[in-house]
Amino acid sequence: MIGGQPLFRWTAAGRDPREFEQVALVHLDALYQTALRLTRSRAEAEDVVQETFLRAFRAFDRFNPGTNCRAWLYTILRNVFLNRRRQEGREVLDPQGMALAEAAESATACSFTGDNPEEEFFQSVLHGDVDRALKAIPLVYREAVILADLEGLSYKEVAEVLGCPIGTVMSRLARGRQQLRRALSGFAREHGYLRKTE
Amino acid sequence: MTCLEVEARLHPYVDGELPVEETAAADAHVVGCAACAALVRRERAFRRLLRQQPRESAPPELRTRVAGAVRQEARRGGRRVSWLAAPALAAAAALVVAVAVSAWRPSEPLVNDLVDKHIAYAQLERPAELASTDPGEVAEWFRQRAGMRVTVPDYSPSGIRLVGARLAEAHERRAAYLLYEKGRTLLSVFMLPLPDDAARLGGTPVSYRGHEYRRDERKGYHTVTWLDGRAVFGLVSSLDYEALLECADRLRLERARTTSL
Repeated sequence: MIGGQPLFRWTAAGRDPREFEQVALVHLDALYQTALRLTRSRAEAEDVVQETFLRAFRAFDRFNPGTNCRAWLYTILRNVFLNRRRQEGREVLDPQGMALAEAAESATACSFTGDNPEEEFFQSVLHGDVDRALKAIPLVYREAVILADLEGLSYKEVAEVLGCPIGTVMSRLARGRQQLRRALSGFAREHGYLRKTE
Repeated sequence: MTCLEVEARLHPYVDGELPVEETAAADAHVVGCAACAALVRRERAFRRLLRQQPRESAPPELRTRVAGAVRQEARRGGRRVSWLAAPALAAAAALVVAVAVSAWRPSEPLVNDLVDKHIAYAQLERPAELASTDPGEVAEWFRQRAGMRVTVPDYSPSGIRLVGARLAEAHERRAAYLLYEKGRTLLSVFMLPLPDDAARLGGTPVSYRGHEYRRDERKGYHTVTWLDGRAVFGLVSSLDYEALLECADRLRLERARTTSL
C-alpha cells in the first residue's frame, strides 16, 4: 500500500506456483537458448532467465491464458536483457546503432564485391558458425532473426515481443538474414570451402 | 506476379506469411520461372539451416534454481503489494509524455491521475506501445494512429533517452504518452487539453526561465505541470525538480518552434 490506496491487484491468489510451472516454466529450455544467443555467456544467460521467470511470475495474473505464453516470456526476457545492457552501458537498440548497422552493412557489401551474394554455401556451415555469425550482426537484427528463424515465432508474435509494427519486423528480418548470410559466407571462405565464385 | 513482385515478397512468401491470394499468385509465378524458383529454394534452404541449429537445454541446476525462486516468491507474495517493493525496480523512475483529449473531470487533482498512470505504465512489461528512440517516428505514429500532433522533445543532450510512446488515458481522456529514461530512471510527461478549471492543477507555483510552473509531490514522485496554448502538460519522475523544469522548458521551446496544438 502506498498513500493508503492499493495500487495493483497483486494477490497471492493470482499467483499459484504450480500453475505457473505448468504454463510458463515448461518454456525454460527455449528461454535459456534464446538468452544464450542474446547474451553470449552462460552465466549471464542463467541470470537473465531467472530474472525473467521471477518477473513473469509476479506479473502472471496479467498474462492472458488465451495467448502464446512463450512469446509473452520472450517479451519479458528481452526487457530484462535490454535493462541489463543499459545498466552496463553496452549496445542497446538506438538509432545510432541502426546507423552503424547500415554503415557496417555497406562496408561488408564493398568488401565482398565481385562475389556472388547468393552462393550456395550452406553445406559448408560448420557447427557454431550460425551463433558466431549472429554475434556479428547488430542487436536490432539479431533479435528479430533469433525470434523468427531460430525460435519459430510468427511475424505477429515477433512484432508483439519487439513492440514494433509487423512491417518493421519484415524489414529487420530481411536485413538481418542478409547480414547473417554475408557473415556465414565469410566464415565459409575462412574454412576454405568458398575460394571464389562457383 | 512479376519477378520483381515475387522478390519484394520473398521473405513473407518463404515464411508463409503472405495472404492466401498473394501466395497463390507467387506460387503461379515461381512454378514457371527458373530464376525465382532458385531464389526461393535458396531462401528456404537458408531458413532450414537456421531452424535446424542445435539447441542447448537449460542446465538442471538452473531449473531447480528458478523453480525454487518462484516458490519463494510465492510465499512472500502476500506481502508484496507494489512493484515499488521489487528491488530490481526500486531504483527506477519514469519519464512519460502524454496528451489527453476529451471531457475534463476536475474531480481530483490531475497530478494524482498522472502519478498513478506513471506508476501503472512503468510496471507494464512494455510501458511503451511503440518502442522508438526517434522523436520524428513517434510524432508520426501519433499523427497516423490518432490524428494527434504531438511535440516529442529530444532530451538526449541531457542524457535522457526517448524509449517510446503509447496512447494513454488521463482524466477519462485519450492521451499521448511518451516514455523517456535517464539511466535507470524513467520520466513521464503528460499533455492534455486545457481544462475549464485550470486552477485544479494544484501544487506550488514555481518560476523557471521566465515561465510559470507548478510542482508537486505524490507517492514519492515529483511532478511539474504547466499550461501552454490549449493544453496542460505534466512531467512525472523521481528525477529532481531542477531536471524536470529543464525538461519542461525544453518541451515548451520545442512546441513554440512547431505549430501549436
